[in-house]
Amino acid sequence: MKHKTLLPAVALLATVLGSTSALAATEITLFRFFGGCSDQYGTVTDLSKAVGECGIVQVLTNKFNAENKEGITVKTVTAEWGVYYDRLSATFAGSTPPDIAVMHRSVLPNFVVRDLVTPLGKSFAETGIDAADFLPVARDAVTAKGEIYALPFDVHALVWHVNADLFTKAGLVDEKGQPKMPTSAAELMQHAEQMKAKTGKLYFAIPSANDPMPTWQYLSWVWQQGSNAITAEKTAQLESKESKEALRLLNSLYSSGYASSKHDYAGAQQAFIHGEAAVLVNGTWGVDTYEAQSKDPKNALKKYVVRDMPNLYGQEGVWSDSHMWVVPKQSKPDPAKQKAALSFLKFLNDNNYHWARTGQLPARTSVLKSAELQALPHRAEYTKTASIAKAVPAIENQRAVQDLLVNELNSTWLVGKKPDQALSDAQRRATQILRRSRGK
Amino acid sequence: MPRTFGDRLILILMIGVAIVWVIPMLWVLAMALKPNEMLVSSTRGILPWPHTLEHFATLIRGSMTPRWLLNSVIVALGMTVLTLTLSSLAGYAFARIDFPGRRLVFVLVMAGLMIPEQAILVPLHAMIAGWELHSTYFSLIAPRVAGPVGVFMMTQFFKAVPRELEEAAQLDNAGRLKIFWSVMLPLSRPALTTLGIFTFLFAWNDYLWPVITTSQPEMYTLTVGLGSLQGNFAQTEGLGFLMASAVFASFPMLCLYVVFQKYIIRGIALGGGK
Repeated sequence: MKHKTLLPAVALLATVLGSTSALAATEITLFRFFGGCSDQYGTVTDLSKAVGECGIVQVLTNKFNAENKEGITVKTVTAEWGVYYDRLSATFAGSTPPDIAVMHRSVLPNFVVRDLVTPLGKSFAETGIDAADFLPVARDAVTAKGEIYALPFDVHALVWHVNADLFTKAGLVDEKGQPKMPTSAAELMQHAEQMKAKTGKLYFAIPSANDPMPTWQYLSWVWQQGSNAITAEKTAQLESKESKEALRLLNSLYSSGYASSKHDYAGAQQAFIHGEAAVLVNGTWGVDTYEAQSKDPKNALKKYVVRDMPNLYGQEGVWSDSHMWVVPKQSKPDPAKQKAALSFLKFLNDNNYHWARTGQLPARTSVLKSAELQALPHRAEYTKTASIAKAVPAIENQRAVQDLLVNELNSTWLVGKKPDQALSDAQRRATQILRRSRGK
Repeated sequence: MPRTFGDRLILILMIGVAIVWVIPMLWVLAMALKPNEMLVSSTRGILPWPHTLEHFATLIRGSMTPRWLLNSVIVALGMTVLTLTLSSLAGYAFARIDFPGRRLVFVLVMAGLMIPEQAILVPLHAMIAGWELHSTYFSLIAPRVAGPVGVFMMTQFFKAVPRELEEAAQLDNAGRLKIFWSVMLPLSRPALTTLGIFTFLFAWNDYLWPVITTSQPEMYTLTVGLGSLQGNFAQTEGLGFLMASAVFASFPMLCLYVVFQKYIIRGIALGGGK
């Protein structure tokens, strides 16, 4: 009689143990920059308490860890921004890449051509991530070889941060009293002269000392002329008439005294905040910072507005990049961890609105158009940036080309190198780099 | 001895140079005591005034900070002890023992001075990865111990020690090891102290190799750990915290220098006198 009760008991025990092991915790590693604030945010899961890039992504991670029903724990490993890609490459070289890593659009090609990241399109469909909801520029950012390789998290682009009071004082306002943006290169110079004459202030504060900002502005103006500095076919066109015109305009602004070539990133920011310059050329990431600074009574910046990059040459276009999340390929793939990674990516995608509270544009069209996002400070003023954002084609080593462009362009206003010579040297060096690059 | 006019002039000049030298450090301390939002607007003011202690509180309260501090102490001490041991032994051998191939081996060791760290980063990383020893104290300490500078310094020092001292010990039937331990090492104290301090300082400030070899936050050294806390725009939106990190990380070194400065100066003077 005993075996009649023993067998069902053993079966029951096996079932319980079996189901318990199915719910066993799965730990995945999330490797990212954005800073470390796990002490500050502890186990906070209330997203309304999260502020800034670090705070928001940390609280998102805390919330997922606390609320997911699949027993998944996301362990965050942070690295300083400047060495992040060295660290990430080192993990691949040591065959210990993380389960999820943050990446830029401009770096993704380096990993795709080496087959180091997992295609995710099919997985997104199975997990319920709607790729059709991605902004076109965000979808393009994560697509290579006709396949999706990452979850887009944002689109960040250049915008013009504007001191509206200075525009009013200079008489550069439209019929609604709003700052009047230039519609051509000649008009820009004319407005800048008027700003100088009527207010004595610079038109522009552009971080110019060894900073990529002027290069991104230059790229925007090349695209606006319908050209490309680097083509998808891996050729450099840095001596084209469009390239020369964009550099000419930049240098005219410096030589005419409408922008200071001595401003570094912090200096340009401070000049804008203290009312010494009417327009700060910087990215979407600065919006909430300048909004907060405009509320400080000690600062000269009072009426702060944001404008999409003005179209000076006929075609809309502004430099952009994107943050995205990739799933590195592992030497010993673990299906449970891959499933867990996708589950976390879905959670991040569902909460894309909260990431957009950093000032970056969301990656999802539905979030961009939502009343919730549009109600955030200034977002309605640069929504159009999402549709005019452009990026360098998906070519390996494009950051190396950008770095040499920064050096050569900067040399024209910092040490007086002749622009034609700078562009010629840049063309030669870029061609050498692009010769070694593999495309999409 | 009464000071001459020339002495006084030099003293005033040195005080002026010292003030100029200290001003940037005062500025760093001043920024470390200001909130980040204040520094976005302005970085003026070099005189430290405690507007806020939040940055230091964040650092001290950081759950990983003690671990990172401990890792830095272990790595710096380990590297220093091993470097001093190997450099003094190698230096004595090159200076005093006429073994076959001594000149060739010495040249090979010195050739290491011509190879920049970045050139061996990739093969070194691959080697440690092959052994599966990344993110360990071994990977943090061992590659740095094979340093030609220490060997060169100790070789030069031991060459300058009069042979009569060794010969006197040999007359008392002392072997090589005993001569090294009882005669040469005590004489080399200033050189060892200098080498030790520079090695410790290098190890404490080291960033490039530790940031690449450590993948787990528990194994970060202080420099890597503090770096991992910085946001993407640390130099503008997080400047106060960045400066506080610099002060926090350099404070132990400052204390060490205050204690050992006479040995450092003696060691530099000893080297300069040759």
